[in-house]
Amino acid sequence: MRAILKDGIAVFYPQGFLDGNSASSMLSLEDIKATENLKTDLVLVSLKKIIFFNKNGLEIFVRMLLKVRKANQAKIGFCDYDTKKFNSIMKFFNNELSFSLFNTLETASLFASSFKNQKKNILLYSESKSQRSVMAIELHNHGQNPIITQTQEEYNEKSKNKKAYDVLIENTYIGSMENGSIAARVSGNAIIYNVSSFLDASITNSFNIFYHNNSLKAGFRLFIFEAYQVVSMNIHAVNFFSKLASAAAEYNATICFVALSTEKTTKKFQETLEDSGIIFFEQLDSILDDKKLLAELGASTATNVKDKRSLNKAMVTQLPNFIQATVDTIKMMTNAEAKKESASIYTIKIQETENKIASSIGFYGDIDGMVILIFPENIAKKACELLIGEETDDKELIMDALGEFVNIIGGKIKALLADNDIRIKITLPRTYEEVSELLTVADNRKGVQVDLTFDNDHFSFFLTR
Amino acid sequence: MITKDDIKNYIKKIPPAPKVLKQTLALLTEGELMQASKVAESDLTLKSYLKDLVNKPIYGFKNEVSEVSQIFGILGVSGSQQAVYNYMLTLLSPDDWVVFNLNEKNFYELQARLSARYNKILKHLNIIDKDIQSAISLLPASIIVAEALFRENKQDIELIRSAKMIDYNTVLKRLAKVDLFDICSQIAKKWEMPNKISQIIQTSSGLKISKDKEINNIGKWIHLLLFYELSQPIFIEAGLNDFIDFQVDFVEDIYEDFLKVMKVEN
Repeated sequence: MRAILKDGIAVFYPQGFLDGNSASSMLSLEDIKATENLKTDLVLVSLKKIIFFNKNGLEIFVRMLLKVRKANQAKIGFCDYDTKKFNSIMKFFNNELSFSLFNTLETASLFASSFKNQKKNILLYSESKSQRSVMAIELHNHGQNPIITQTQEEYNEKSKNKKAYDVLIENTYIGSMENGSIAARVSGNAIIYNVSSFLDASITNSFNIFYHNNSLKAGFRLFIFEAYQVVSMNIHAVNFFSKLASAAAEYNATICFVALSTEKTTKKFQETLEDSGIIFFEQLDSILDDKKLLAELGASTATNVKDKRSLNKAMVTQLPNFIQATVDTIKMMTNAEAKKESASIYTIKIQETENKIASSIGFYGDIDGMVILIFPENIAKKACELLIGEETDDKELIMDALGEFVNIIGGKIKALLADNDIRIKITLPRTYEEVSELLTVADNRKGVQVDLTFDNDHFSFFLTR
Repeated sequence: MITKDDIKNYIKKIPPAPKVLKQTLALLTEGELMQASKVAESDLTLKSYLKDLVNKPIYGFKNEVSEVSQIFGILGVSGSQQAVYNYMLTLLSPDDWVVFNLNEKNFYELQARLSARYNKILKHLNIIDKDIQSAISLLPASIIVAEALFRENKQDIELIRSAKMIDYNTVLKRLAKVDLFDICSQIAKKWEMPNKISQIIQTSSGLKISKDKEINNIGKWIHLLLFYELSQPIFIEAGLNDFIDFQVDFVEDIYEDFLKVMKVEN
């Protein structure tokens, strides 16, 4: 069983009966290895579809999840259960857990500092006083507004007022956890890295510079380092971030730090970082909720990269595979047949920009570059219907599903290239509500453009470096 | 990926029930066990299947049973009809499995386990009805249909499922507006199975509530039984644990009884 990655959280969804026999079949070493490669900071098992479990089954799962924690310092645990299941787990482990329990996935996302869940009024209760404090501190650190209740009665009474609270947290337990990995997630068009603990020379190993560089190439221009859980930063880390900022400047990209106060690093170090162009903010939502600021920082538009590299022979040879993967995926999701209209080499040209949305995804490895896709809205909507489950005009939902859809295309490209012994990794996709935004990234870039039609709608594919 | 036409073609290609099986089933309906066994005996593959089925440990017979007349005698009319329908379904199963990591042996094992445990359930519910007893035979058709429809798109479906927690049944429903259980019903119709079997199988998907209380209740037991079996290592490793969506709420009220019948200890 493979974990599904959404908003920076990897979740396993087993079904049915979980015991000593079934657990080791449900979660294999191969599955754990694949999860480690996701480099996420929170790995959970959803118990939503588990009707029966016993201690042996849970212990096997925990042992497997601990391997991910050891490799990635990820937080691990279970989510989606009722009071009865929560009490059983606490009883099985004598109220001392080395992993976490979240009553819902939504609760878990609050502790993963997901961008979608900032500034929420959260009513919480735990029988354990220390747990109440741990949860409140964590939530506060993630920009939430926790309201602690001291007794079950108080919680029951207050929770009746449904309008007063965005989220209710009970039957939740925060296990002892370390988190030193640098997980990345996308919020709109900003990439957010979560840094924690002591920032020192080890940052050069834990930060995926290839991924970062290719995100720059894919058009991302705003990178936010979330430092709520940072304890301190030394000169080696300062040097690292200064170099990162200088490199980003070549792309007119911005690097920001959130919650890196002078208690965590010296004033002198902060000045050094500021001199290299890094901007500091107190809260993540003060950036993400301010559209004007986002635009100024570069998250809505992106200046074209100075380094316009030409396609090389290796890329051109693989072009049919890129096209094939894209066409096959769209066909698979829409049952619409593709017709190739024209292909040209040089710069991107979009004749009609109305009612079109776009996405770009970078890749790196044996070959590196970027795929840009410009969809007619109805093709994108149709393609995303399979993922959403219904027709919708909700733009945010469509853009979210478009990201998943382009991720599937990226996966297909990766698989087709692997058949030709070419190994690549893909970045998170960037989405553009307006084609004009995309053009600021891709205009004048050299590459191959292939125009296609799906059910008479024009669709453009552009491969560049 | 999968269109309505693909499904139409698939159903069109399903062969009609073989004459021997039709005759055997007709004789069983009339309660003519001996005559039915004589007809069944003439189909050597059926004979071999029945022998293999009832001699599996889950059926719990101490001595080997080898003659069809013996087998029908032990199983009775209802059990024999169930076994013949089980065999009929194997005619649809592929020689090699691509989507699921199954083989003939494992598939027969699943059929045997479902049938034997379902018979226990019917005993617990005090239900004596040969059509209801045969309903379980059609359930694995959902797996065969998923295999047949998705085998050409294995990598694609894996890619989709790596991005979103979505089961085969839902993918099919969203793509072609028909689900696996609708197709099972069409197979049942083509094979002239009693309508009740089709209704029970639709309800056992956990997604279609029947107005008939009895059918609804049996649907719940079958749904839970299916996931009980799909939680066994052999079937998890076959990739069957999440091929359809488990509807926990649907079976909540029979869960405690189920654990008692299956003797599952907490």
